[in-house]
Amino acid sequence: MWSGIVNDLPSSTRRYLALWFPFLPADRLRRASGGLAPEIPLVFTEKVKGALRLVAVDQAARSQGLEPGMALADARARVPLLEAVEQAGAADRLWLERLADGCIRYSPMVALDPPHGLILDATGCSHLFGGETQLAADVEARMAALRMTVRLAFADTPKAAHALTRYRGLPARDAAAALRKLPVAALELPPEATQGLLRAGLKTVGEVARRPMSSIAARFGADAVTALRLLLGEEARPIEPRIPIAQILAERRFAEPVARTDFALEVLGELAAEAAWQLEQRQEGGRRFEAFFFRSDGLVRPLQVETSQPTRDPALVIRLMNERIDGLSDPIDPGFGFDLIRLSVPMTEPLAVTQLRLEGGAAKEAEVAALIDRLSTRLGRGRVQRFVARDTHIPEQMQLAFPAVEAGRPSAGWARPAPGEPPLRPLHLFDPPQPIEVMAEVPDGPPHRFRWRRKFHEVRRFEGPERIASEWWKRKDGAVDRAGLTRDYYRVEDARGRRFWVFRHGLFEEKPMPQWYLHGLFA
Amino acid sequence: MADRILPLHHAAHGSPPQAKRGEEFRFAELVAATNYSFLRGASHPGDLVGRALELGMKGIGIADRNSVAGVVRAWVALNEACEEAQARPEEIDFRLIVGARLVFADATPDIIAYPATRHGWGRLTRLLTVGNLRAEKGDCILRFADLLDHADDLLLIVMADDSQEFLLRRLAEARPGAIWLGATMPRAGSDRRRLAKLKRLAERVGVPLLATNDVLYASPDDRPLHDVVSCIREGVTIQSAGRLLAANAERHLKSPDEMARLFRDCPEAIAESLDFLDRIQFRLDELQYEYPHEPVPAGWTAQGWLEHLVLSEARRRFPGGLPAKWRQVLDEEFGLIRKCQYANYFLTVHDIVKYARDQDPPILCQGRGSAANSLVCYLLGITPIDPVENNLLFTRFLSEERREPPDIDVDFEHERREEVMQYIYRRYGRERAGIAATVIHYRSRSTVREVGKALGLSEDVTARLASTSWGSHENEMEERRYAEAGLTIANPEIARLKTLVERLLKFPRHLSQHVGGYVLTEGRLDEIVPIHNAAMEDRTFIEWDKDDIDALKLMKVDVLALGMLTCIRKSFDLLRLHGLGDWQLDTVPSEDPAVYDMLCKGDSIGTFQVESRAQINMLPRLKPRCFYDLVIEVALVRPGPIEGDMVHPYLRRRNGEEKIELPSPDPPHPADELEDVLGRTYGVPLFQEQAMKIAIVAAGFTPDEANGLRRAMATFRNLGTIHRYESKMVEGMVKRGYQRDFATRCYNQIKGFGSYGFPESHAQSFAKLVYVSAWLKCHHPAVFTCGLLNSQPMGFYAPAQLVRDAREHGVEVLGPDINASDYDNLLELPSPSGEGEGGGGAPLAGPAPSAAEAAATPPACGRGNLAIRLGFRQIDGFRKEWAERLVAARGAGFTHVEQLAQRAGLPSRALHLLADADAFGSIGVKRRDALWEARRAPQGVLPLFAHAEATELGEEPDAGLPAMPLPEEVVTDYQVTRLSLKGHPMQFLRSTFGREGVLSCAGAAKARNGRIERVAGVVLIRQRPGKGNALFITLEDETGITNVLLWARDFERYRREVMAARLMEVEGEIQRSKEGVMHVIARRVFDRSALLGRLTDDRPFHPAMSPADGPKSSTDPRHRHPRDVRILPKSRDFH
Repeated sequence: MWSGIVNDLPSSTRRYLALWFPFLPADRLRRASGGLAPEIPLVFTEKVKGALRLVAVDQAARSQGLEPGMALADARARVPLLEAVEQAGAADRLWLERLADGCIRYSPMVALDPPHGLILDATGCSHLFGGETQLAADVEARMAALRMTVRLAFADTPKAAHALTRYRGLPARDAAAALRKLPVAALELPPEATQGLLRAGLKTVGEVARRPMSSIAARFGADAVTALRLLLGEEARPIEPRIPIAQILAERRFAEPVARTDFALEVLGELAAEAAWQLEQRQEGGRRFEAFFFRSDGLVRPLQVETSQPTRDPALVIRLMNERIDGLSDPIDPGFGFDLIRLSVPMTEPLAVTQLRLEGGAAKEAEVAALIDRLSTRLGRGRVQRFVARDTHIPEQMQLAFPAVEAGRPSAGWARPAPGEPPLRPLHLFDPPQPIEVMAEVPDGPPHRFRWRRKFHEVRRFEGPERIASEWWKRKDGAVDRAGLTRDYYRVEDARGRRFWVFRHGLFEEKPMPQWYLHGLFA
Repeated sequence: MADRILPLHHAAHGSPPQAKRGEEFRFAELVAATNYSFLRGASHPGDLVGRALELGMKGIGIADRNSVAGVVRAWVALNEACEEAQARPEEIDFRLIVGARLVFADATPDIIAYPATRHGWGRLTRLLTVGNLRAEKGDCILRFADLLDHADDLLLIVMADDSQEFLLRRLAEARPGAIWLGATMPRAGSDRRRLAKLKRLAERVGVPLLATNDVLYASPDDRPLHDVVSCIREGVTIQSAGRLLAANAERHLKSPDEMARLFRDCPEAIAESLDFLDRIQFRLDELQYEYPHEPVPAGWTAQGWLEHLVLSEARRRFPGGLPAKWRQVLDEEFGLIRKCQYANYFLTVHDIVKYARDQDPPILCQGRGSAANSLVCYLLGITPIDPVENNLLFTRFLSEERREPPDIDVDFEHERREEVMQYIYRRYGRERAGIAATVIHYRSRSTVREVGKALGLSEDVTARLASTSWGSHENEMEERRYAEAGLTIANPEIARLKTLVERLLKFPRHLSQHVGGYVLTEGRLDEIVPIHNAAMEDRTFIEWDKDDIDALKLMKVDVLALGMLTCIRKSFDLLRLHGLGDWQLDTVPSEDPAVYDMLCKGDSIGTFQVESRAQINMLPRLKPRCFYDLVIEVALVRPGPIEGDMVHPYLRRRNGEEKIELPSPDPPHPADELEDVLGRTYGVPLFQEQAMKIAIVAAGFTPDEANGLRRAMATFRNLGTIHRYESKMVEGMVKRGYQRDFATRCYNQIKGFGSYGFPESHAQSFAKLVYVSAWLKCHHPAVFTCGLLNSQPMGFYAPAQLVRDAREHGVEVLGPDINASDYDNLLELPSPSGEGEGGGGAPLAGPAPSAAEAAATPPACGRGNLAIRLGFRQIDGFRKEWAERLVAARGAGFTHVEQLAQRAGLPSRALHLLADADAFGSIGVKRRDALWEARRAPQGVLPLFAHAEATELGEEPDAGLPAMPLPEEVVTDYQVTRLSLKGHPMQFLRSTFGREGVLSCAGAAKARNGRIERVAGVVLIRQRPGKGNALFITLEDETGITNVLLWARDFERYRREVMAARLMEVEGEIQRSKEGVMHVIARRVFDRSALLGRLTDDRPFHPAMSPADGPKSSTDPRHRHPRDVRILPKSRDFH
C-alpha cells in the first residue's frame, strides 16, 4: 500500500522512496515460525521500569485496540487471548538489513530508517523499471511474496517520503499540498513540542509553516524549523547508504531465475575472475570480497570474506567463499531461484602485479585452527571433535563433544581438583555405565566386592560417597517430590591396585534393591 | 597417575556403629538456618524445631545469616509444641538455643555465634547492629575485628579449614574455651579425608571438633525449594544454574543415628554437641523489658505521676466531681496498671501525644483501637471516647491473666507525622527507639513471578498468572487461577510451578519497616534486638515484627498517619482564619440533626470512612440518627461483616422487619445470657469484642482462649490452631444446649470477620472522625472542600469529584490564577457576578440527582459566602517552590506574561504549565495566547534584567492563532488540572447521545424501575470487590453519576469494552432499591471513547502509524486508587 506522490516524468530533482513495515516484528516472526495462528493477536513486549509494555503489535492486535506503549497486563485485561513475545530488536534489525540488501536491486543507495523503515535514493533508477509506478508495484509484489506488510511513498526529500508513508493514508496528486496537510506529528518533534503546537491550535504542517519561522524557532527550537524545512524540501540532507558503493563490482543478471546453487557458484567464479581483472588494472588487491545472491522473491543472501593480505587470486577467493558457505548453519537457499548475482570488492589495497606467497607469521592458534580446518575437511566435520565444558553436576553431561570447527575456542570452566588433591573424576567414562554386581553395606555403605565382566574384584580401599542427586526439574511428569534416583559414587581400588569409579543408583529409601554400575576407570 | 589416588582410605569394613540396647545416639544440631536467612534457608523456623523434636534430638541451634529475625518464631513453635504435649518447656528433654551465623565482609570464614548468657545476647545484637548500620538497607557488613570487640560470653563455632589455621589460633587465644571447629560430612566424595584433616587441625590448635550438618532445610524433600530460592537469589534459571546449586539434598536435619554413622571416625564430635548445649544458659524469655522512664519528673513515682495527671484532667472534665461509676472504673484501671507496672507505658504515649499537641501549630492526633477502651487513655487525651459512657470494656485492652503488654495506636496528621517520629528518635536516641519490622512475605503474585522466572518460564506466562488475582493479596494460588490464565496443570512445567509456588507462599522475603510501630526501651534497645537502617532516610528499625514483639511481651506504640486528620486540621485553620470560629475535635457540637439529615441522604462525598460507593448506598438504608449509628455504620460496611452475611439481618432487624431472636441455652444456664452480648446490635455480632464474648459466655472459653481466637482470626499464620478453636467453640455451645446449627453459624460469622472485623472501640474512634468531617461538610462545605483538596492525596475521590460535589452544594469555585492563587487552595469572597471568571465557562447544566437532592435543600447555616480559589497544586507537575517564588514576586500583581517570567524567575516549564492551566485570566490573556507568549519567554532570568522591568523581547507580529473552542478548553483543563470549571466533556456530546436515545445520568435516575435503558458517561471507577461475582462501574456526565453493575459472566463477554473504554455506553435494566439507590444492571456495553476525539479538532491519526509517538501513559485503572484515575488521558492522543 503506497501513499506517496508518483512522478513518472523524468525529473532532474532527486527522488526518494520510503518503505515502512508497520508490522515488521510480527511479519518477521510469522515468517520464521509457522505455528502462530493469524487470528490470535500477536504483540511484542519490552520491560520498561519493571513492567512489560507493548512495543509492537500486529494487524489483529491493532484491530482489537491494542497499541504500542500499553502495558501488557492492560492489554491482557482487554484481550485475554493473545500471544505475547519478547521483543527481539536485534532480530528485527537483522531482518530489516536483509530487506535493505534486497532493495539494492533497485538502487545502490539504500539506507536504513530504523526501527521499521528503509529509504532508497531512487534518483535515476525508476526508468530501469519503467517508471515510479512500476517500481513501486515491483516492490509491493516482492514484499507481498515475502509476506511483509509495507507502505511506501515517493517524494523529493527523504523526510517527506518518510512522513508520507506514516502519516498519510491515501496517494495524493499534489505533493506540496499533501505535505502541508500532514498533522504536526509528522514533524516528529519531541512529544512536548508536538503538544505545544497542538495546544496553540497549529494542527497541520501547513499551519505551522504559515507562521514566521523566527516565531517557531523562538518557541520550539531550531530543531523544529529544521524538521519543517526538511519535510518541505527547503533543506536537503542526503541519506547514508548502508553499503558503501564499491569501486569494483561485477554482476550477472539472469533472464530466468537460477535455482541451482552449484551453477550460481560457478557464476561467482566467473565474476571473481572479472573482478580480478579489474583489480589488476588498478594494481590493487582486495582485502574484502562481498557476494550477493539476489533471489527472485526480493531477498538477498550476502556473503563476505576477508583476507589478511590483499589478493586478487580468483581461486583463493572462491575457495574462501566455499569454506564460508560450508560453515554456514543454514545453506544458501535459492528459493524460487536467483535472478542477480553480484560480487563487489569494497576494500582494496595496493598490490604489485606478482602475487606474494602467504607464508609464516601466523599465530599458533591460527595454525591449530588451520589444522582443525584441514582435518575436518579431509575426515569429515563430525570426526574432529572438541570437548566443551557444561555447568552441571551430572558427570556424563559435564562435557559435550562438538565438531571442532563449530566449538571454536577451548572452553573455560572445567572443574579442577584443589592443588594436592587427587582427581575426583576418571579420565575414561563408560557410555552407558556398565551394570555390576556388588556386595555393599546397607543402607548406604561402600562396596566390599563387585563383579564386572564376570570377574570379581575385592575392594581394598575406597573413598566416597560423592552423592549426586537427579535434576528434578527435568522430570516429564512435573512432579517435584518424587525426584529421580540419587547416585552415590565411590572411588575404589581392588586388590591388584586397579581403580574404578562405581555408583549405586538409588538411595535405599528411593529403591529397595538399588543397582550398581561401573561408570569409569582411573588411569 | 596412580600414586595420586593414594589418600584413599583403607576399607574399614566393620559394621557401622550401632546404638547399644537401651541407649540411643545423643546429638543436637547446632548449625541450622531458617528461611529468615533469606533465599538461603528453605524451611520455616517452626518446621525445623518440629523436625528436630521428631528425630529425637537433644536440641537445636537456630542461627540465621547475620540475623536473629527467625529465632522468636522458633521459640514460639517450641512453646506451642510443649503446650500441645502439655509440658512446660523446662520439662522436656530438648533445648532450643538461638544465635546467628556471622558472615563477614572480609575473608573470615563463617562463624556461628551463640550467646551463653543474657550479657552475651546483648553483645551479639550490638555486633549485628554495628554491621547493619554500616550497610545499606538489608545488608550487614561485618569484619573480624568487630567480632573480637563483641565476643564476651559468645560461644563460637568456626566453619574453617586448614587454610584458616592462623585465624583459628587467634580466636582460640582471644577466647579460650569458647571456640569450636565445625565439621560437616556433605557427601562430596572426599569427606573422610577432609574430616581427618579437620581433626588434625583441631588437635593442633587445641579446640574441640563439633559435628554438624550445616542445615538449610528440615527434610530432603525440601531440596527443590532450596534450589529454587537459590536461583531466585542468584537471578538465574534452574536450567542454567549448574553448579550454583547443591549437588544433592544432604543439608537437611539428620537423625542422631545417621549423624553418628557419618561421623563414625570421630564420635567425639557428636558428643561435643551436647557439651556445647550445656554451656548455654541464655533463654529468650530472659529478655527483661523495661519501659522508658523519661516522662516522670523528679520526685514522683511513675504511678504517682500518672494518677496525678489523670486526676487533674478528671477534675477539669468533671468540675462537679467524678461520678461514682467513673471513679470505680478509674480505681480498677489504676489498680491493674500498678500491678502490671504499666504506668511508664501510659506516660510514654502521653508524652508523645503531648509533644504533638504542644507544637505550633499543634499536630492533630487521636488514639484508636483497643486503647479507646481505657478511661485513663481518655483522660490523658490519647483517645477521644469516654469508655464509661459508651460501655466499653477495659479488659479488651488490658487484662491481668493475658499478661500481654498494652498496645496503643495513635493517628497523626499524615503530612506531619514525620515530625513526631523524629521527636521520638531525638528523645530516646537511636539505641533506645526503633520501628518494628514488617516481615514481607511471599504472596501469590510475587511467588508466581519469581518461581516462574527461576523455572525458566517466560515473563509473559508468569505475568499472566500474577495478574489473575484482581488487585487482592490472596494467599493461595488455587488451580482456578491457572485455568483463568489459560494454563493447564497437565503441563509439567506448570505443575512444577504450582507445587513450588504453594511451598514458597508465606516464606519471609525480606524485612521492612512497620508503618509506625515503635519499640521504646529504658535500656539499650540494641542489646535486645539488632537495629537496621531503613530504606527511608532517618529511619531505623528493629529485626522483629509485631508478632515477635507480642510473643516477647515488648511494648509497642503505633504512630500512624491519617489523611483525614490533616484535612480536619486545615479546615479548622481556615475557619479560624475567616472568623468562623475556633474549633477543636472535642468542641464540635455533637448530635447535630442537620449532620444526620445530610448523611441519611447519602450525601457524604469527602467525609471520613462513609464516602465509598458501598457506604453511600448503605447510609439511606441505615439512616443514622445518632453517634452510635455511625459506629455501626463504620463497622458494618466492611468485608468481614459483608462476607459473614451480617448486613441484611442487621438492617431487617433494625427496621423491625424481622424479629430479634436470641437462642437460649438449656437450664441451668441463664436463658438471656446472649442478651448482654448481642442486645445492642439486634442479635447480630458486628464487633470483635462480641465474637470474643460469645465464646466466653456461650462456649465457656477463658478470656485467654477468647483472645487466642481473636488472634487466630486476625492473622493467617495459625491455620492449624483456628480449627482447634472451631471444635472447641461449637462443641462448647452445643454442650450448653444451643442448636448445633446456631453454633456453627456463630462460628462462621466470627470466621468471616477475619482480619477485617473492628473492635467496637476502634469503630468508636473512627466514628468520631466521621462525625466531625460530616459536620464540616454540612456547615462549611467550601472550607471542608478546600481542606480536602489541600490534603491530597487522601480519601476516595479525585479533586474533580470533590470540586463537583462542592459546586453542587452551591460553593463557587474559581480557577487558578497568577494574581490570586497560592500553592494551596484558598478561600476568598466570591466574585460579584457569582460565576467563575475566565469567561466562556458554562456552569454545569444542573444538579445531579440522588446525592445532589441534598444540595437543593441545604442546611440553613453558614454556607455560600466563601468561594474556593484553586491553587497551583492542582496543576499536575507544578512544584511548590515555583508557587512560592511566584507569590513572593507578585507584589501588586503581574500585568503581562513576560513580566511574570522575569520577576518570579520561573523555569519555562513552570510558565508552560501556568499557560496550559489557563491561569492568566486576570490579565485578560487567553490560554492559547498565554501559551504562545510563555513559550517565547526566555529560560530563567538573566541577572542583568532581573530587576529591570523592561521588556526584553522585541515586538512580534500577531501570530493570529485560532481561538480555542470550548470543548477543547474543557479537554485541556482535564488534561492539565484533572478538572474543568468550564464544563464537562459529555455536555458537548449530549446532542449526539440525545439523538441516539441514550439517557443522561440525571435522566437515568428518573427512569422507571425495571425499564431497559441506555446511559453513557466517562468512566470514573471500575471495581471488582470481594469474590468478584460482579463488577461495579461508575459513569459520570454533566448531570451526575450512574452506578452500573455488570455480572462477571457478562464481563467476560464485554471485557475489551469494559477495560478499554474511557467513555462508555451501557444498556441495562434500571433497578432501584426501596431506599432509592439506583443501579443499572448492564447487559450490553459499548466503548464510545472515539467520540472524545471529536472534542478537539486535532486530527486523530492512528498512533501505531507513528511508533515513536505512541500513548505515553497507561490508563487502566484496575489496580489504581479511584482518586488517581484520569478520566481523560494526559497527552492529547486519545482515540
